[in-house]
Amino acid sequence: MALVDLTLASAGYNGANVLHDVSLSIERGEKVALVGRSGAGKSTLLRLIYERIDGEAAMVPQELGLVRALTVFHNIYMGQLNCHSTWRNVMNLVRPMQQEVENIGGIVKTLGLENEMFSAVGALSGGQQQRTAVGRALYQRADILLGDEPVSAVDEHQSRSILESIADAKPTVILAMHDIDLALAYSNRVIGLDAGRIVMDESTAGMKASDLDLLYRG
Amino acid sequence: MQAVWRYSPAVRTSLIFVGIAFLCLIFADISISTVNPWTEMGRLLLGVVTPDFLATESLVNALVQTVAFAILGVVVGNIAGFFLALIFHYRAVRVGCAFVRAIHELFWALIFLQIFGLSPITGILAIGIPYAGIIAKVYAEILEEADTTPLKAVPPGSTATSVFIFVRLPDVWAHFKTYSLYRLECGLRSSAVLGFVGLPTLGYYLETAFRQGHYSEVSALLILFYIVIASMRVWMRRNLLPLYILGAILLLPWGGHEIYADNIVRFFTQDIVPQPLRDGVFEPGALSGFGDWLSVLFVEQALPGAVDTLQLTMIALVATGVLALVFFPLLSPLFFGRGGRLGGHVFLVVVRSTPEYILAYVCLQLWGPSMLPAIIALSLHNGAIIAHLIGRYTEHMKVRVDAPRGLNLYFYESVPRVYGQLLAFLFYRWEVILRETAILGMLGIATLGFYVDSAFADIRLDRALVLILFTAALNICVDALSRHIRARLRLKTTIEHG
Amino acid sequence: MLKRFFAAMILIFGFGSAVAAETFVFTAIPDQDETRLKERFGKIADYLSKELDTTVKYVPVKSYAAAVTAFKNNQVQLAWFGGLSGVRARASVPGSVAIAQGYEDQFFETYFIANEKAGLSLTKEFPKEIAGKTFTFGSKGSTSGRLMPEFHIRRNFGKTPDKVFERVGFSGDHSRTIALVQSGAYQVGAVNYKVWKKELDAGKIDPKKVSIIWRTPPYPDYQWSIRGDVDQKFGAGFQKKVTDALLNMKDPALLESFPRSKFIPATNDDYKMIVDTGKEIGLID
Repeated sequence: MALVDLTLASAGYNGANVLHDVSLSIERGEKVALVGRSGAGKSTLLRLIYERIDGEAAMVPQELGLVRALTVFHNIYMGQLNCHSTWRNVMNLVRPMQQEVENIGGIVKTLGLENEMFSAVGALSGGQQQRTAVGRALYQRADILLGDEPVSAVDEHQSRSILESIADAKPTVILAMHDIDLALAYSNRVIGLDAGRIVMDESTAGMKASDLDLLYRG
Repeated sequence: MQAVWRYSPAVRTSLIFVGIAFLCLIFADISISTVNPWTEMGRLLLGVVTPDFLATESLVNALVQTVAFAILGVVVGNIAGFFLALIFHYRAVRVGCAFVRAIHELFWALIFLQIFGLSPITGILAIGIPYAGIIAKVYAEILEEADTTPLKAVPPGSTATSVFIFVRLPDVWAHFKTYSLYRLECGLRSSAVLGFVGLPTLGYYLETAFRQGHYSEVSALLILFYIVIASMRVWMRRNLLPLYILGAILLLPWGGHEIYADNIVRFFTQDIVPQPLRDGVFEPGALSGFGDWLSVLFVEQALPGAVDTLQLTMIALVATGVLALVFFPLLSPLFFGRGGRLGGHVFLVVVRSTPEYILAYVCLQLWGPSMLPAIIALSLHNGAIIAHLIGRYTEHMKVRVDAPRGLNLYFYESVPRVYGQLLAFLFYRWEVILRETAILGMLGIATLGFYVDSAFADIRLDRALVLILFTAALNICVDALSRHIRARLRLKTTIEHG
Repeated sequence: MLKRFFAAMILIFGFGSAVAAETFVFTAIPDQDETRLKERFGKIADYLSKELDTTVKYVPVKSYAAAVTAFKNNQVQLAWFGGLSGVRARASVPGSVAIAQGYEDQFFETYFIANEKAGLSLTKEFPKEIAGKTFTFGSKGSTSGRLMPEFHIRRNFGKTPDKVFERVGFSGDHSRTIALVQSGAYQVGAVNYKVWKKELDAGKIDPKKVSIIWRTPPYPDYQWSIRGDVDQKFGAGFQKKVTDALLNMKDPALLESFPRSKFIPATNDDYKMIVDTGKEIGLID
């Protein structure tokens, strides 16, 4: 059975439809990139997919959803809030447990945040905050990761290593991306959106960046 | 077509209120009844400049007790208020909180005195219960306005408690802390005032010193009190809090005030049962007797008391607004340099740190019992609070380089910009002023508090309770009206200053 | 931390009640300056401790009502009440009795006093000219400062005080009443005659500024009242012991502080007239 199956779906917010008659099917194990101009409906489609998957996926929303007063460590720990007892969660909030620090230390290192592990997120730069949100999704025990422009505020070198670790850690990945090169490099399927409709849906095998130009024309 | 000049809604509302206040003032008794008010004032001022810190060995004790009651009361109110805030979406909780905070701390104290006597429980609950109601409301508002986006990123299946403490709490914690500190300041004032009904806090010694004309002792007590309040941010440290709580518990005079279950039972089954019903509701004539009792109580006490209370409230409210407009430039960098503002700060800190009740008590000693001392006390205290908030607001106000100066700056640049804020704060404090007005009756002005005090003096707790409930209802009505006006004029206050 | 906290709590409450259980506590209505009350009853506490061979403590209260409530709640077992407060207190504690009164309390009086600017002078008949003046009572719960003067005002004018006078106040205590009338804050006032005489002797009254304009007919006033359950709590015969100690008080220094010449036995019935008066003017249900 497909992971997601949409047939002539429409969606939107504030009463206005952003997506029109979208049909698509995504299987487990696919690495999907959603591309298109801003306002094309990527975020809406991602949210629609997230709702359909219903709780199985980790999510990196565009607004990140971080708790600004907590540290990077605690924000990442939140990815497994459902895996521990309330008591353990509280204790870990009051004083980080050694075991958790070790668990999360690996992810923090991948993300290049080892110096900021115990800094409050509110005090960090946009890129650091974004990496923290990715960290939380990586730490979450889910096989599927959904991300809305998860590396938009990070430099290219770091973007690549982050996307690599996402691809390694999660079998199924669906990311909305605006950087075409990165989208092609870390996915095996590209879905192009324009004005709320799917205008292309192809495998990335042998595809060149220029093949996507039509999405950004006019 | 020529445009027609019209006042803005805010100005129209203000004019209506000024008109009402003016009408109230015509009918108000504002005479000075003492023969030599200025000689007494002179003696008081002499006392103020010659504080006697060695007047009584109880000076330090009075302060310690005041702080101890305040800390425990606020801690109890904070804990209860916090949990109530979590279930604030239930209508019953909202109504219950509105009700307990509509009753002044002094009334609560008078009630608990009947059950627990002078046991510290009386003071702790008298502060804790109304504060729980206020804190619940403010915390609920803070939670409502907090960032909820992280909730979307929480893995499903997490327990509600885990989500709350990880996602909701960290975000609002700083607000809670700030507000708690503000509440502690209020708690210190409340605690001081509780001395007037016999608890061993500042008010107790202040009243005695005043009665006997020992103004140097009055001055010493008040100066120490201001220092305690002004230095609060220095001594109130989170890591010291457990120590303070323990210390407060150890220092309060628990001994010798036994609490008997009999007293509690008697209070609920006899004392507060309306007198005509005490022999049983089904006794012949009990219900008609109750009807007469209630109507006499309403016609002779509740209604005249309510009229005087509202009259005084309206005058005090408008006077507060006027004083706030006069006072705020004292704190504003637009009008005064550093040195000038320092003087303004000291003046406003002193006036707003002194509880209205104590201010009114002082004025009453000087000028005799009319509405005048109450008007002055209420408007000074509340005017200073609002001026402080507005003054701080103008610190961030940018005026153009070529802006006018002096009065032109005041009328054309400052007042128009702060007026909305000022009205918002003023209407916010309307209910506070009403609650205080009622209480001032205990000092001899014919507001509702006068009748409540008389009922307690006559050991008629049934009447006292009905009058307190009536006062609370009046308070809730004014609160609703104020909220309605604020919504219509689209006025908003920052939550920190509930 | 938590454990220590609870240990401390147990210690406080435990000790508190253990000590309190052996202490015989009394209070008094605050009818005069507080320093004087503390001085007076501090001495009485010492005297009773010695006579009763148990710890006796005086607790000061802020109002007449607080004294009654403390008695009612068994937070004090003995109290020096006025006529009205005593009646109220005994009505709410079944079995409680008046045990002793001052010799002078059998025929107590209230003085109506006036500021010299009011232009009133001493008369035998009730001074009807006080109508329209400003008037201050003492405490709301006082017999000599409220109950009796209000009774006579109502009987002579057929109206409540607030209809008779331009302004009515409650000074709180008798010392304050004298001070307020002397300063002219109120033109007329009603004051306990004993306090008046004491302040006059102490030189606190300026006869040129304030003087007596009328004396009420005599009525019973102050008394010592005790709870009926003291024998259970402090041992059989304790009530008798307290009564004897009070009646045997001979030290002039102690008596002078009240001021009474001696204490004599009293009964609840001695105060029937106060009950009737209180009911008549609606101060007692």
